[in-house]
Amino acid sequence: MNKTFRFLTLAIVIALIAVAAAPNARAAQTVNLVLMGWSSSPSENERLQKIVDDWNAANADIQVTLNQVPDYDTTLQKSLAGGEPPDVFYVDSFRFLDLVRADALMPVGEMLTNADDFYPSLRDAFTTNGQFYCPPKDFSTLALQINTEMFEAAGLSAPTTWEEMRAAAEALTKDGVYGAVVPADFARWVAFLYAAGGSVTNDDFTEMTINSPEAAAALKFYTDLYLDGFAKTPADLGVGWPGEAFGKGLVAMSFEGNWIEPYLKDQFPDLKHMAVEMPAGPGGKATMAFTVCYAVPMKAKNPEAAVKFVDYLTGAEGMKAWTDLGLAMPTRASLREGWLAQFPNLEPYLNGAEYARKWQFVPGFQAVLDKVNEQLSLVMGENQTVNGALSEIETIGAEVLASR
Amino acid sequence: MAVAAPSMGKQGGFRLGAKGQESAAGFFFILPALIIIFAFIFIPLLSAFLISFTNWNGLQPPAEAAGVGLANYSRIFGLDNTTVVRDEFFVAIKNTFYYTLGVVPAQTILALVLAFIVNQQFLRFRGFFRVAFYFPSITSSIVIATIFLWLFNRNGVINGVIAGLAGAIGLEYSPVTWINDANGIIHNFLRLFGLTLRTAPEWMTESRILGQSIWQWISGPSVTMLAIMLLAIWTTTGTMMLIFLAALQDIPRQLYEAASVDGATRWQQFRLITVPMLRPTTFFVLTIGLIGCFQVFDQIYVISQGNPAGTTKTIAWIVFRNLRDSQAGLGAALAFVLFVIIAVFTIVQRRMVGKTVQQ
Repeated sequence: MNKTFRFLTLAIVIALIAVAAAPNARAAQTVNLVLMGWSSSPSENERLQKIVDDWNAANADIQVTLNQVPDYDTTLQKSLAGGEPPDVFYVDSFRFLDLVRADALMPVGEMLTNADDFYPSLRDAFTTNGQFYCPPKDFSTLALQINTEMFEAAGLSAPTTWEEMRAAAEALTKDGVYGAVVPADFARWVAFLYAAGGSVTNDDFTEMTINSPEAAAALKFYTDLYLDGFAKTPADLGVGWPGEAFGKGLVAMSFEGNWIEPYLKDQFPDLKHMAVEMPAGPGGKATMAFTVCYAVPMKAKNPEAAVKFVDYLTGAEGMKAWTDLGLAMPTRASLREGWLAQFPNLEPYLNGAEYARKWQFVPGFQAVLDKVNEQLSLVMGENQTVNGALSEIETIGAEVLASR
Repeated sequence: MAVAAPSMGKQGGFRLGAKGQESAAGFFFILPALIIIFAFIFIPLLSAFLISFTNWNGLQPPAEAAGVGLANYSRIFGLDNTTVVRDEFFVAIKNTFYYTLGVVPAQTILALVLAFIVNQQFLRFRGFFRVAFYFPSITSSIVIATIFLWLFNRNGVINGVIAGLAGAIGLEYSPVTWINDANGIIHNFLRLFGLTLRTAPEWMTESRILGQSIWQWISGPSVTMLAIMLLAIWTTTGTMMLIFLAALQDIPRQLYEAASVDGATRWQQFRLITVPMLRPTTFFVLTIGLIGCFQVFDQIYVISQGNPAGTTKTIAWIVFRNLRDSQAGLGAALAFVLFVIIAVFTIVQRRMVGKTVQQ
């Protein structure tokens, strides 16, 4: 009796272990990853979901869940601070250095197939201390949008220099329409700063270089458009952003990124417009590159699987599937021709990759950005001089750089 | 436990006196609330306090942040000879101060008057008016702010109405860009007398006190801030009115009857009976109004994000901005400074108004 009981117990225990272990053994073969990004337009969300679904169908051993969250920065912050970050997530070039400094990112850039294919300016946006951290998933640049109907009516061609742009703005300011829309926004003015040959800081972010004659010329050019009455701010025009002012035909010119294209197509299908490269200033051509990468966290549980998946997303095939939507541009030079064949009208944006500056400063630089925006609107309200503004920006910037 | 298994009647057993039993039962009943308050208020409060002494960037687990002692606090007050954080903080102080100075008296007086009106027996549709005035208070502030954004749009309803009214009396009105006008209203007022940045005396424009010239300190709220203040007054007046209304209905009718027998006019009754009788309520309304104003955030977040030219940066807004921009330690320190400011003002107010309340 006792023996039978003991045997039975043993049998039950063995059976239980077998049952418990079996799914474990199977689970060990499948890795589950979470890809976290922000939610954007429905078409983009669907496309990314499809790309992930394709991957899941082809890779039974690495299953990916796509998590598109609305309040991205806060959500990412929470999951990083909680020590359980998603396996792959978006990082904006502007936030990149913050995250590296917090030791949150694993440098995986060099592990990817053909990593030299990424545009140098974009690679650079995610490289620090000589390490290429995360591959750019796509990018956008600023270009000049012109209302072709207005330009043709006035017998003007697309401006290629500042002088031509100012002349066009002056000529097109009539009948309640303004030449251009100029937001008091550093992220737009900075393109003019670079085109003037100016800079914000030196290359290694140790010194402010913004209080220069070049910067003064850029600030004067930008704000004079407004003060001379050839341009208005979005708020003056009663719109939410420059794209809306342009779409509604309130202005003849606007400088925005390629995100304006689907918006105009959608909201203002009858508008006749085209994009041209940003007009060259005294220092040559300049534009800004806004880019986002696929990052793998330092605390990744399955770094190998995550890198493999990122390699697919940013590889020739995955990136082609993503950028074929025509919203954001491929970051691989090898995809340039194929993409341009599909979207010839977006060439000015893609050309910008050659001379674009990265939208990136040091951690804590937000205070300087705020200051620039503030000074821009003060100058535009005639409450500040150009040189006064630059010296205020220099003072606050120097302090931010010194406190690093 | 003593409550669950009372040991009454057992000789030598554990026994609570009647008082002890009562207080144990009391604690037992408030236990759920205590646990919730402890877990969701005291612990976060304590950790925020600890974080304010670190350089936590909000991107790593807080335990990994390094302690920096009082560095965050000394940056706020510029004691370490830096000015970036200090200047922004004092801009926020100025903005918040003007905001409070405008909103608290306006909403209190308006609420009192509205409560008095809807309390009148002769008023028809009293129910409707009470609901209508209270309605903004129960609507989401984000939704209201978004609607106000449209109302105050340059081509929006507000400008349309003003233009219409001005046109009716034969005046020209050039639309105000409400949500993007950094000009202070006191500056605008002084401009009527020809006093501008260029004509102001040097002692006003050249001096620097805590990062701003006297001219900048006396700017008053910007036009954009004014729009946000109007929004705040409109939303909170309803709540305040409800509190006043409840208090009004507690005032004994005999007082009014006696007063009218003595020949007091309605205005005298209001001034000499209603207002004094409402003093405790007024103190309460002023206090919650003050606290609410110092913490103003959601309207700023939706409407202006601190713009234009930093004139709508409030203390709560810069707390948020620092938390967002990887300076959580500094943000936490700012939050505690805000807490101290609110506490001090409430105590001062209590000394001024509250003394007579407790007579």
